[in-house]
Amino acid sequence: MAGQGDSSSSEKKSKEVMNDVSTFRAENLQNNMKVVYYSRTFLSIIGGAIAGILGLTGFMGFILYFIVMAITSIGLIAKAKFSLHSYFDCWNRIILDGFLGGLMSFVLFWTLAYDVVHIF
Amino acid sequence: MGLGFMVGVLGVLFLFHAAYSTIQGLLKIMEEEFSGPPMNLLLGFVFCISAALTVPGYFLSIHPDSEENRIVSLSANLDFMIFNHRAKALPLETDMKLKH
Repeated sequence: MAGQGDSSSSEKKSKEVMNDVSTFRAENLQNNMKVVYYSRTFLSIIGGAIAGILGLTGFMGFILYFIVMAITSIGLIAKAKFSLHSYFDCWNRIILDGFLGGLMSFVLFWTLAYDVVHIF
Repeated sequence: MGLGFMVGVLGVLFLFHAAYSTIQGLLKIMEEEFSGPPMNLLLGFVFCISAALTVPGYFLSIHPDSEENRIVSLSANLDFMIFNHRAKALPLETDMKLKH
């Protein structure tokens, strides 16, 4: 009906042959990316607070960050009910996106919690 | 949405409680490894994980031919607005000629 005809409200983009889906609804993909980014940011802040409370220093804290990010990735893939291709166009979007942005928040809250709990 | 938010607040409260216990010296985290504090921390962490996965909302399908994507509505564009007016009662002039 209206799916094949005019598509002025849902901007469809075509990608290369590499992806399975050639056209998709970009606004839904943007919404999914917003959800992923929100979850990752919140959990990196919580992970930073936990690292500070536990008193981790040095390399162990970053190990905890990777563990928290891995748990987040598994949780997001489970939220997408393991059929990733109906919500995202490639695997990198749900696994790697927001990784480095969360690292900054993690270190900030890690130092904050460590100072509050162990030094102050 | 409200329930997920409450679960997140509860998880953060658990973390605050664990931090307070650590400050007071009730939980000596620095000496021992895995006994007392991870119970509080683990519970708070699990609550925060479940809140972080439910609060932002659902994933929407990106296939153009899935069930909820089939009906596409146009934005409020003046060129495509349809008004139910009485011009259909006017006689249709199918025999127009150029005036010269």
